[in-house]
Amino acid sequence: MKRLLLSVLILIPVFWVHAVEPSNVPVSFNKDIRPILSENCFSCHGQGKTKGELRLDASEHFLKAGASGEKAVVPNQPSASELVKRILSTEKGKVMPPPSTKKTLTAAQKEILGKWIAQGAPYEKHWSFEPIKAQAPPEKKPNPIDAYLISRLKKEGLNYAPKADPSTLLRRVSLTLTGLTPSVQEMETFLADKSPDAYEKMIDRYLASPKYGEEMARHWLDIVRYADTHGLHLDNERQMWAYRDWVISAFNKNQPFDRFMVEQVAGDLLPNATLDQLIATGFNRCNVSTGEGGSISEEWVFRNAVDRTSNFMEAFLGLTGGCAVCHDHKFDPITAKDYYSLYAFFHSAADSPLDGNQLLLAPSVKLDLPETKKKIAELEVEVSTLRRKMEEEAAKLAYEDPALKPAKSEIKVAEDIWFEDEFPKGSKVFASPGVPLELVDAKKGKVFSGTKAIRRSDAGLAQDVCENMSPITIQEGSVLFAHVFLQDGRLPKSIMLQYHSTGWLHRAVWGDYNIIPWGAANTTERVNMGPLPSAGKWIRLEVPAEKIGLKPGTIVNGFAVTQFGGIVFWDKIGMTGKKDPATDPAQSFAAWWQQQTGRDQPEAASDVAILIKQGPAKTTDKDQVNKVKAFYLANYCSATKVQMKPLLTKLDELSKKKTALEQSAPGTAIFRELPKPRDSFVMVRGMYNKPGEKVEPNTPAIFPPLKKADPKKRADRLDLANWLVSPEQPLTSRVMVNRFWQQVFGTGIVKSSGDLGTQGELPFHPELLDWLASDFRSSGWDVKKLIKLLLTSEAFQQVSTVSPELLRKDPENRLLARGPRIRLDAEQIRDNILFTSGLISFDMGGRGTMPYQPPNIWEPVGFTGSNTRNYKQDTGTNLYRRSIYVFIKRTAPAPFMANFDLPNREALCAKRERSNTPLQALQLMNDVQHFEAARKLGERLITEGGNDAGKRIELAYKIILSRFPAPEEKAIVMEGLEKHIARYKADPKASALVVKVGESKIKEGINESELAAYTLLANTILNLDETVNRN
Amino acid sequence: MNPFLENQMLQTRRQFFGNQGLRLGSLALGMMMAENKKSQAQQVQVHKPVAGLPHHKPTAKSVIYFHMNGAPSQIDLWDYKPLLNDFFNKDLPPSVQGGQRLSTMTSGQARFPVAPSKFNFTQEGKCGRWINSELLPFTSKIVDDIAVIKSVFTNAINHDPACTFVMTGSEVPGKPSIGSWLAYGLGSENNNLPSFVVFTPRFPEGSNGQALFTRMWSSGFLPTRFNGVALRGTGDPVLYLRNPEGVSSDDRRTMLDTLQKLNQRELQQLGDPEIQTRISQYEMAFRMQSSVPELTDLSSESKRTLEMYGPNVTTPGTFTHSAIMARRLVERGVRVVQLFHRGWDQHSSLPSQLGNQCKDTERATAALVMDLKQRGLLDETLVVWGGEFGRTVYSQGTLTKENYGRDHHPRNFCMWMAGGGTKPGISYGETDDFSYNITKNPVHINDLNATILHCMGIDHEQFAYKFQGLDQKLTGVEPQHVIKDLLA
Repeated sequence: MKRLLLSVLILIPVFWVHAVEPSNVPVSFNKDIRPILSENCFSCHGQGKTKGELRLDASEHFLKAGASGEKAVVPNQPSASELVKRILSTEKGKVMPPPSTKKTLTAAQKEILGKWIAQGAPYEKHWSFEPIKAQAPPEKKPNPIDAYLISRLKKEGLNYAPKADPSTLLRRVSLTLTGLTPSVQEMETFLADKSPDAYEKMIDRYLASPKYGEEMARHWLDIVRYADTHGLHLDNERQMWAYRDWVISAFNKNQPFDRFMVEQVAGDLLPNATLDQLIATGFNRCNVSTGEGGSISEEWVFRNAVDRTSNFMEAFLGLTGGCAVCHDHKFDPITAKDYYSLYAFFHSAADSPLDGNQLLLAPSVKLDLPETKKKIAELEVEVSTLRRKMEEEAAKLAYEDPALKPAKSEIKVAEDIWFEDEFPKGSKVFASPGVPLELVDAKKGKVFSGTKAIRRSDAGLAQDVCENMSPITIQEGSVLFAHVFLQDGRLPKSIMLQYHSTGWLHRAVWGDYNIIPWGAANTTERVNMGPLPSAGKWIRLEVPAEKIGLKPGTIVNGFAVTQFGGIVFWDKIGMTGKKDPATDPAQSFAAWWQQQTGRDQPEAASDVAILIKQGPAKTTDKDQVNKVKAFYLANYCSATKVQMKPLLTKLDELSKKKTALEQSAPGTAIFRELPKPRDSFVMVRGMYNKPGEKVEPNTPAIFPPLKKADPKKRADRLDLANWLVSPEQPLTSRVMVNRFWQQVFGTGIVKSSGDLGTQGELPFHPELLDWLASDFRSSGWDVKKLIKLLLTSEAFQQVSTVSPELLRKDPENRLLARGPRIRLDAEQIRDNILFTSGLISFDMGGRGTMPYQPPNIWEPVGFTGSNTRNYKQDTGTNLYRRSIYVFIKRTAPAPFMANFDLPNREALCAKRERSNTPLQALQLMNDVQHFEAARKLGERLITEGGNDAGKRIELAYKIILSRFPAPEEKAIVMEGLEKHIARYKADPKASALVVKVGESKIKEGINESELAAYTLLANTILNLDETVNRN
Repeated sequence: MNPFLENQMLQTRRQFFGNQGLRLGSLALGMMMAENKKSQAQQVQVHKPVAGLPHHKPTAKSVIYFHMNGAPSQIDLWDYKPLLNDFFNKDLPPSVQGGQRLSTMTSGQARFPVAPSKFNFTQEGKCGRWINSELLPFTSKIVDDIAVIKSVFTNAINHDPACTFVMTGSEVPGKPSIGSWLAYGLGSENNNLPSFVVFTPRFPEGSNGQALFTRMWSSGFLPTRFNGVALRGTGDPVLYLRNPEGVSSDDRRTMLDTLQKLNQRELQQLGDPEIQTRISQYEMAFRMQSSVPELTDLSSESKRTLEMYGPNVTTPGTFTHSAIMARRLVERGVRVVQLFHRGWDQHSSLPSQLGNQCKDTERATAALVMDLKQRGLLDETLVVWGGEFGRTVYSQGTLTKENYGRDHHPRNFCMWMAGGGTKPGISYGETDDFSYNITKNPVHINDLNATILHCMGIDHEQFAYKFQGLDQKLTGVEPQHVIKDLLA
């Protein structure tokens, strides 16, 4: 200690010559101090770790004495502050940061730390956790944004650049708002409009276009990581494009952004939630998921909840939560408990933790598409007409109920079939674990009789279950049977038949007796039937009912076919037994009605259904009895089946049509809670099987507290959503405004738009950000208004020309002393070549499309059994739809988009890269999409541009760049064009090849070599740097 | 990226392309053909390293990484366990199993019967390495050149997270792959080819092919130009490389001359340095249109060399072809080459399927090591071979002496390394008699990654990239260690 003091004493005088004076420029904790501490100190002296009992992340900690008894910071007394002593020390074991961390402070950093303490060590909470301060703009300007920016520029001795020319502005606005260049017509309208508000009117036209929603949605889909496949392992298709379309439509309707967020987080909990509000909750179903065999469910419950929690934090709060999964966040004031309290809101998701590789994993909703609805309604009318006719016919048939016959009928042995092509009417069929029932025909599998059989393939325990059948009474000597086919080479370990009486209490097992441990061993709950039957052929399994404890008189109302591993087919399942016509529901009307009493009859007309349910005892009116009887004879009676057959067949066809229509109607995954929430815990070191302290759903303590709608109840997601958009919430509107700013100006006011926490960058212009955030909120979260405000600023309208001097001073254009210049995004680049060539289709919505893609993009990575292994390229207009509708396969995104930095949508992406690579050059020159577009554009130039080459070049500039070429440009293009013309005139074979690229046809009467030359011309202009940039 | 650094890079690009970009024109092709590695070294590097890298003198300039996807059985190839023969069809002792978590594909199994490897192991080379010389006859001849690590372990039990882990150092998708990290950190010595190249060759029919994911060679949060570029077996070897039909190289040059004049004009007007970059990228693209065909043209290879690799060597899309291409790439200064070969997931019929997998790959693998050696390239090329986890000693499904399957086993598996400063002919790490637990010198995936970085001249602890406010590293937040014993 003595030595330390000595060295401090020696050092201090030198250092403090200029530092000990509290200079008049105030030091800001947030701007000047926290970044130094965060970078160098927090990882040991922060929230997560407090070495030496010292925390430097908040004043309440660093003003206290640490383990050594010394105070790290003594306000106004740098030389008494242990922090200063330590950073100045040269002594091993004393100096901070210690050399082992490989971190060192610069002289300037040491100096400012000293200055800060000398000024009294003022402390501020991290800026983004402080309430939003709305102050009046610093000067009067028509657009407050300019007031803030100009006052900042003045400090740097700079000013705005001149206003850009109208055609540059038009193209800039059009690309910003719709992702497309202006049409020639729009260009002519705008350039001719000399009214003072021409610019504003032009913006309004674009804001009203449905293409606006498509452009805005794109950015949001990066945040929510939307894609069309599950993302892990098989990476099968996932159906949730309705969510994507909902986002587009929300922007087009200019839905207030607070509602937009609330519906996504908790649309399902809103009172009387609409279909749209349910679709919006797909937000929480966009995470990657797996169905990989062998995965452990508990692990994936945890992982999915973590993914959703982290995405929630990043998407809405602009905070990275990942660290707090394992430990208290070292930098941001988010403890592991905070994190898991937030996680508790998402932990009780009702969707299965493993996706079963299903297209539409429950919970989901079917889409209310008008065409489907209409077709179903038409079919329903047909069905009820037919039913009425059947009952009329049936009423005419002669029938004598054997139960009412005086003489006892002969008792015969007969078969009762429970499964043949389908399960009994009215029964409930389900599968476990997740993979739904598969019925195969003889083409796809094995069939014993009829047209279909059940097929199931699984690595472990799996089954198909039929419950709620019409009750069947076991008779003396009844034998249960089922036909089974075991696939050679893929044998199960065991197979099992199960029957439900008062419970699932009756099982018969073939093969490994113990591998399915259900029911008490060696009782009728699990009877050993011996080895597996032989594979490779159909075998009839028979189980005497008595053997598995089904005594005569017992009622059976369900069965299940179960296997462990392998591939198994099942067909023709039922029971043989003695049948007394007087008590057999298939023969006796009285017996049938008795059996059906109390049961619902979805197929009967509503009045008849009520009668059947109330039973014969309560139905005395003769007409009513006859109605029920007619229904019985038409549908269930074996004696009248022959006469009814033609009508029954027709009915069957109709209902199959309807089922097919209902099933094929697309749906979308939504978010729901389990009826009983899971208990949530802090998971120790982020391990799914190491629960620690129990937590309740809550928001992080650093923020204003959550207000529950019902203080007595556990907080729910709707409370969370409302908290998110509450006026006290300091982050949400800052995060959103910053992202829109980034979209318009290229870089956010906070450059790290995905991280507004302590490790993120500080806002370049905090007052402007706060003013915008507060204005956005008080406008009712009006996105179109905000966007218009940004676009009408003078800042946005400057020329983007940059001098070497300004480039040096502000390489990233943060000060905005020039207009923004940004390379177009992947979607914009593709959409523009389609648009300018005239190939584009503006069809909106629906399943992702599959445009041209080079061979072998999906195949070399795809899992053998994946349904997205083979790329099935679309044809016709689907090749040319806007890129927001291109199918995104997460494990192999479309190369023409990934090449231009489309994120793969596995995790949130708040800011895309804007790379500049040779592979992009190759794509723009050679990709069939681009070259076909060049060909169609060449065709446009020839047919619409007149006969003069100069005029055609002008048209190319107008179409692609919304301006006229300068004479020098025209000359350069002309020189190239002449070479191309000469070359292709001399080589008709080559010309013929050029004009055949792509699927679209050439217009008749066009000279092939001329078209080839103009294709190359168009290809040139489409490759210009100016074309792929928003200038 | 650091704007200053970016600026610096632009300056050098400008020096390289700025003055000659347009004039390169029709000369470019000829120049490019004449360009060899030596003259390139004198030129300015297009793919520059990050400032301050390498941290120390590297022992390897390039990496060739064979990822045998699906998890090759360590027990049947490398980890010789003669005692197991006494345990055939006996239950794995619970003391060995130790209550570890199992994949749900076998966790329901009533018993865990031991399946000894049916294959003959012999001692090979001067080092006397035990190896399955029945399935690995060619590899048996290079055992003195390789270091086998028997004690690699992973945290993941399923393919997807395990593959993501082994390639990116993290189970959670979104992190850069090791190849991208190296391309970012070290750049490349070749101006006409990408710095990081991957192959996804065909694999035997009937093998259990798991999925690959582009994230295994993607740049994650690093700039996307560090993505691995796939050299493809069908269509264009590099995407969009070929001019459309009817467009000759001269036509392309005419088009580019016009394009570049117009871009140059725009640059003069606007002054945005990105325009300069784009101009040079178009020239690079044009050069690639000739350098890639030159790369893939095997006519200069001797008959002896081609024979050494095996019969499919000239068929694009095969593993054998990819292997010789890997050598040609590192010869040209490409930094990282990865071969992703699928089909190693033998839950059943392991002996026959594993045989097919080895037949498809091992001759070319061994040939590549020998070929590098005979050219003196092995000293500067690190070769890595391995999967994403190991396989269980107990059988999954039917067990006979001749036939069995094995489930996933993350607790230990084998990888090997050769050249690039590694110690040849050694074995590192030990497992118990059941190849079920590590008994000595465990090697975490990120220890391995740290070691690879070390050979390439990088200190993994100092090699970080700021993302989401954090210093992100390939080797993660837990402390990891370079395996010094593996280094020569």
